[in-house]
Amino acid sequence: MTDEQAPKLPEPQQNTPPMPPYQPSPQATDPDYQSMKETGFSHILNDLLKKPLSVIYEVKHGNHSPLSALLIVTLASLAIFGIVLGMFSSGEQLWAAPVKIIGGVLFSGLICFPSLYIFGSLGGMDAKIQHVMGIMLTFLAITSLLLVGFAPVIWLFSTSSNSLVFFGILCLTIWIICLTFGLRIILRASKIMGGRRGGHLNIWAVIFIMVTVQMTTTLRPIIGKSDSFLNLEEKRFFIRYWFEVMESESQSGSPRAINADTGNNEPKRPRNKK
Amino acid sequence: MPNLSNPLQNIPPLCRGDRSLLRRWLDQPITECLSFCIPAILLGCGCYGFTMGLWQGWEMASYVGIKFPLVIFATLLVNGAINGMLAMVLGSGIGFRQSIQFLLAGFSLMSIILLSISPITFFVALHAPDPSDAGAQQWHRVTLLTHTLLIAYAGIVSHRSLLVHVRNFATTPRHGSQTFFTWLAGNLFVGAQISWIMRPFFGTPGLDVQFFRNHPMAGNFYETVWNAVTSLLSY
Repeated sequence: MTDEQAPKLPEPQQNTPPMPPYQPSPQATDPDYQSMKETGFSHILNDLLKKPLSVIYEVKHGNHSPLSALLIVTLASLAIFGIVLGMFSSGEQLWAAPVKIIGGVLFSGLICFPSLYIFGSLGGMDAKIQHVMGIMLTFLAITSLLLVGFAPVIWLFSTSSNSLVFFGILCLTIWIICLTFGLRIILRASKIMGGRRGGHLNIWAVIFIMVTVQMTTTLRPIIGKSDSFLNLEEKRFFIRYWFEVMESESQSGSPRAINADTGNNEPKRPRNKK
Repeated sequence: MPNLSNPLQNIPPLCRGDRSLLRRWLDQPITECLSFCIPAILLGCGCYGFTMGLWQGWEMASYVGIKFPLVIFATLLVNGAINGMLAMVLGSGIGFRQSIQFLLAGFSLMSIILLSISPITFFVALHAPDPSDAGAQQWHRVTLLTHTLLIAYAGIVSHRSLLVHVRNFATTPRHGSQTFFTWLAGNLFVGAQISWIMRPFFGTPGLDVQFFRNHPMAGNFYETVWNAVTSLLSY
């Protein structure tokens, strides 16, 4: 090749065959993904636990969308769970804890909703925004219902424990167990809607769990006592806050009340235990 | 089939790696692609950048919100010519215009992923301690690591999707892979330096909030890394 000759560049493909339109990957069949036999409130409750995919089927194909019923189930269940949590400290926490639990879970769902839609799409899920909204509400409703199932266990320990750390760890463990069951439905729904392996949704699940766990610190105190409803001025990362609370309780030598706002030891106020 | 008249409808097919969307962009006038990709990068990286800087206050948040999309565009601008040339030299059958469209599509996907996480990072930033607080250094390290992981995740996902497209479009998949990894190496090399020039992004506690540092062009990213490594070894 001489200097006068232009370098010979490879020719791009000229006769490119027309691209076929997007075809979602073959949808997995799930025996639960079928129409609900009846759409009454009690049937929705029943199907949420037995055949949750049928609820999502109704969201996608049904004439009567169960979204409002799912929201009511979520709110009522979280309120019950919150009241049981509030029994640990009693007094004002009986109404403050349910308000914080409901607000925290709904706010977490709201800020994680855009990423659920995008991460689902990244995994190949072919769903409209309203369908993803249905999946999110079904997930929250199942999680909340399971929390109500655990409520007697929590009540038992709330009335018998003095240790804030023990009770906090117990509640968090139960919360994560319920979330895990709820998150399974998101993965199953994704597969039904053409999603492939749930790698992206697993990452989303970790993010969601982290957000809700941080919410417990943001909305503190949920289980302990405090002078104020919220403590938004003092910003804490949840791990740091937990360590502070654990340190305070271990330094005290015996289980005692800790100011759940600051994580510091403060004179114990009488708990209104029955 | 994606509807190009409504840009929002391009988001799901782009996330799913729908080949027909990219093929249409390549066949249509470049304005079709630009009218989606540029706003997506501005909005996605802008919002995410805003939440990155927010823990240092609204001023820093605004600066980073402006600078983050600028890093993407500056990298594409600096590397635009060489990316197109390398694609041709490597026999991929991809030209200048197509190389820009491919890379814009990749960065758009990254921006959309970051945009979707922005509400969460915004919430996290609102709970950051004040930069003058005792725990600010620890928070700085945590936030640095978290944002690096999130941006890396978005970058890897988007570029993996881009690799599939480039392999499909190129004359052979092998040529497509070569072209893609050449672009990636060039963009990483230049992108790191542009980010260095446009620092700060996270803001070190104790240092002033600034749009650029006082002497942004003094030194480079690789010198700094080299100096850090040598000082570590000598220590």
